[in-house]
Amino acid sequence: MVADEPTFVRLMIKVQNGDKACANVLLSEAGIWLERYFRRRVPPHQIDDLVQDVLIAFYTKRATWDPERAFLPWLAAIARYRWVDHLRKVYRHDAKELFEDDAVNGSGEDVVLARISLDRLLGKLPVKQAEVIEMVKIEGLSIREAAEKTGQSESLVKVNIHRGLKKLATVVEDIE
Amino acid sequence: MEKRNSREDLIAALTEDLTPVRRVTARDGVVIIAFAAVLVAALCAAIFGFWFGMLEGEASPFFWITNGLLALTGAASTGALAAMGVPRIAPKTSAPFWSAAMLGILPLTAIITFLTLEAGHEHAADLMNPTMMDWKCAAASLAAGFAVSIGAVIYLRRSAPVSLQRAGWLTGIASGSLGALSYGITCPVDDIAHLGLYHVGPVALAAILSRYAVPALIRW
Repeated sequence: MVADEPTFVRLMIKVQNGDKACANVLLSEAGIWLERYFRRRVPPHQIDDLVQDVLIAFYTKRATWDPERAFLPWLAAIARYRWVDHLRKVYRHDAKELFEDDAVNGSGEDVVLARISLDRLLGKLPVKQAEVIEMVKIEGLSIREAAEKTGQSESLVKVNIHRGLKKLATVVEDIE
Repeated sequence: MEKRNSREDLIAALTEDLTPVRRVTARDGVVIIAFAAVLVAALCAAIFGFWFGMLEGEASPFFWITNGLLALTGAASTGALAAMGVPRIAPKTSAPFWSAAMLGILPLTAIITFLTLEAGHEHAADLMNPTMMDWKCAAASLAAGFAVSIGAVIYLRRSAPVSLQRAGWLTGIASGSLGALSYGITCPVDDIAHLGLYHVGPVALAAILSRYAVPALIRW
């Protein structure tokens, strides 16, 4: 069972005062909470990596929590920041692949990640961008196949994927 | 601190190094930025000389309107920037951006004034007046804004902004307007065209420069 808000608050006040025993408990509980937070957002094998990332950020920035404010929204804001950063890295990686012309066979994990990250957001894109992202990044079609299906040129497919993913990164940043 | 093979190892290492911390609050941000602005204003007064004319009733209404709007924009954006240093999930306020947009009316007025000069209207600014084209005011306002932005960046590095682009924009608007205000107390030219272009104009430039320069400095 994950600790509740009042427990987190009590522990965090002691952690800010340097209580090591409470820090151990708090970091463990925060780890469990973060694991749940990321479960719906990234592929399972990336969860622990992101949780460790957030725990380090949490530890480094522990002075920025105000006891008069709730703890979990503070932790969620840090988690979201690291998640967006993670997506940006993935996006850069994807964009590089696209323009090197070897994104034809996206790996399984790319497809899963794309599905998790993009499903909810595709509706916010222009139709032409959304359809090629869905075909190439989710269904796993090649650039050429997507071009044939949509009637767009191969270059246009790449440009639409590039622009669409870039816009998605912005949309994700704007989500509260 | 580096990641470990297991989360338990990481938690053990973090716990081992734990020390008490002094809390960073949004108030710290306001204090640091305000202190930087006051320091810069004092420096401007020492370098360029304080314009006592404003205290003796020589300043035009445009002087008070421009510097009043700069002060309000500076205050609104400083408040928003300081609040950003403390992570939280909350609706983003657009007030500082509206405030900056209102400030934008002044350079727009200056441009219209110049254009109507061409049409020969009497109320138009005297374009031939050399003080009207004083780029030194723009450069000094921008430099003052840069100095104020150092305070803002110091605060943002100590705190934990979770939206870096927004922090960049707000840093530029806050430091640009407070920098222009700090320099503004030394400048006796109080025509709307001069104030709009050479005092308020640099705020927009500061915002654009900060948008691109600041995120890299405050990433964590």
